[in-house]
Amino acid sequence: MLLSKLREALICVQAGRVTLPYPYAPHDPPPGFRGKLALDADRCIGCGGCAAVCPSGVILIRDDKPMVRTLHFALARCTYCGRCSDVCPEGALSHTLQFETATNTIDDLVMTIDVFMGPCQRCGRCFPPPTAMDQLPIRGFRMDSECCRVGADMPAPDAAATWAAAHSAPPGGVRTLTP
Amino acid sequence: MIATAAAETATLLRSRLGAGVLGAREMDPDLLWASVDRSCVREATTVMKEIGSRYLVTVGIDERPLGGGYGIVHLFSLDAEHLFIAVDCPVSAGDPRIDSITPLIPGASWAEREFRDMIGVEPEGHPDPKRLVLPDDWPEGVHPLRRDVAYNYRPPSVEGFAPELVKPPRGSSVLPVGPFFPVLEEPARFRLFVEGETVVGCDYRGFYNHRGIEKLGDSVLTWDRIPFLAERICGICGFIHSTCYCQAVEKAADIEVPRRAAYIRTVMLELERIHSHLLWLGIAGHILGFDTVLMQTWRIREPVMWLTEEISGNRKTYGMNLVGGVRRDITDAQLPRILDVLKTVEKEALAVRKAIADDSTLHARTVGVGPLSTWWAKEICAVGPPARASNVLIDARIDHPYAAYDDLKPRLCSSDGCDVWARVIVRLDELEDSIRLVREALANLPAGAVRAEFDEIPGGRVGVSAVEAPRGEAIHFVMTGGENRPYRWRVRAPTFPNLQAVPAMIRGQSIADVPISIGSLDPCFSCTERMETVSVADGSRRIYTLQELQALAQSARARRGNGDGGAP
Ligand code: SF4
Ligand code: SF4
Repeated sequence: MLLSKLREALICVQAGRVTLPYPYAPHDPPPGFRGKLALDADRCIGCGGCAAVCPSGVILIRDDKPMVRTLHFALARCTYCGRCSDVCPEGALSHTLQFETATNTIDDLVMTIDVFMGPCQRCGRCFPPPTAMDQLPIRGFRMDSECCRVGADMPAPDAAATWAAAHSAPPGGVRTLTP
Repeated sequence: MIATAAAETATLLRSRLGAGVLGAREMDPDLLWASVDRSCVREATTVMKEIGSRYLVTVGIDERPLGGGYGIVHLFSLDAEHLFIAVDCPVSAGDPRIDSITPLIPGASWAEREFRDMIGVEPEGHPDPKRLVLPDDWPEGVHPLRRDVAYNYRPPSVEGFAPELVKPPRGSSVLPVGPFFPVLEEPARFRLFVEGETVVGCDYRGFYNHRGIEKLGDSVLTWDRIPFLAERICGICGFIHSTCYCQAVEKAADIEVPRRAAYIRTVMLELERIHSHLLWLGIAGHILGFDTVLMQTWRIREPVMWLTEEISGNRKTYGMNLVGGVRRDITDAQLPRILDVLKTVEKEALAVRKAIADDSTLHARTVGVGPLSTWWAKEICAVGPPARASNVLIDARIDHPYAAYDDLKPRLCSSDGCDVWARVIVRLDELEDSIRLVREALANLPAGAVRAEFDEIPGGRVGVSAVEAPRGEAIHFVMTGGENRPYRWRVRAPTFPNLQAVPAMIRGQSIADVPISIGSLDPCFSCTERMETVSVADGSRRIYTLQELQALAQSARARRGNGDGGAP
């Protein structure tokens, strides 16, 4: 009994003080850490690959101006999984080592870029679908799909129509949001 | 060997049930799928018990869009033959009833109550047919896992409902514990029936923390998004769930994972076990009021967290798994660092073990406390360290070898103590063994790719996977669908069966021993409650703006000022 108490005390004494001085001294995460996303607007080609793989619907793509595709990152939803930066063909997305993202201003967690998309040489407009994005064989949850838009009506539970509706919705590709 | 076991079981079922067997086939080398008529479900269960298989969980599937009714699939494990057996009972949509198997297997109780809630098939003859998962004010007749219920369905508010409560035995009084479990800070509500200081029974109501995970998986997400959600089922052993999900899909779709990926998964799984067991030991000390253990084990644990952060990019949600393998490799440059950390952890954990081994205060609080007999552990289908500490020799790593456990043989750590102390010892043994396993895995790390390429995953396939989490065996069942996502994804967290053992463990114990008895299961309420959905009480929820909050705070301050006679 006494011996085990002595041993326990010894463990504590030997450990000494282990509390880090953080936040008074910086405490950097190791390289390879998946911190807050950074987006290099000059590299992005607007392919939409990132939006198609993001598990948490962070990335919204809008095509509501001619020749311009808007990428909107709602980073408050980001889970720091790093799938978007994995698939980005241009290396436009990367993780910084920044982890102190708490803020009172939600805008601090929003990134928006406008990507100039190649227009038609004759009429000057962006190509209509099918674009590379529409051809992506990835289906499923989209932040810009109707059911996920804030304020969208929640369907009733019982109607078989709900089932039918859910399954007749266009399954494939990225649908763009019309304004 | 495996094939014969499956064939033998199928033959036995046919000879006992005759035309009751609608079909039997091997879905996977380790999965026998036997469809039986629903009138024969009890007989089939009896056969399963006779051949010595162990009940795992029941999956309810809404098969109406596929042209059927409902499917009730009881999963069993024939451990000695490394075989899963699925007893599938089609139930017609017009008459959703099936005989309950709980009278034969007490451990099936919750799973049957769950499919009653979620799919709406009535288990007839169930001894306690009340709600398990759905909130008490959820409308009758809405079963969230039916395919015609939208994932974001919210029922209207209801007034004047009352939860179904169990009547306490005569002469006892009720001591409420919860709805937030006081020591683990997780949602669970126990009503203890006590006579003086002695617990004579209890009633449990949980599932306050449903997150609709399974529903999201089969209606919203896609194959490769689900691992990141699965990882968030548990805040401690998340990697277990993403591995278990990926393995189930890989089995269903016949995807061969590269050996290197299998080894890396093993390393991460064992690192997770190491930090989880250290965490648990600390919590156990904390529950007993012995915070030195908490402080020191968590100090020892911290370098493991830093290590996983270096390997994966995050200390807890590793985000390593995808269907087909892992996303990050372990580089040679990281090896010395991993071995270093293991060495320190081993040394320090051993010192703690030595120190507490003869601590009579600890013994007084743990020896003979929270007893779980071998017989009842088997009946209630307990898993993991609580089962092994009651001398039930099961371990998913050995019974259903996955990842690299066919090469790296784990030691089965067990005890016949059947009490809290035995659970401590089993976990400490496992901790040491995990360190050995990581070392062996790193020493034998094969070269090669870490992720397999594969084509589109076909629909209509089934995969069952088991992973030995620190808390016990986790089971994931995946039925593939054609829309780039599962048709049905069922998760059974290890706490799901283990919590059902609580009433037996605390009966006759003193009130003061209840927290450590429950804590000794290493329960994870949130994992258990992965299912559905939002409480309707939210209908009346109000969101305050900052200004309103400040105004509220000011008026409260003013009131207090008056009441307290001018306190500042
Ligand atoms: S890190 Fe993950 S969650 Fe965040 S934006 Fe990228 S894919 Fe989405
Ligand atoms: S994947 Fe990369 S290039 Fe494509 S839209 Fe996203 S950020 Fe731009």
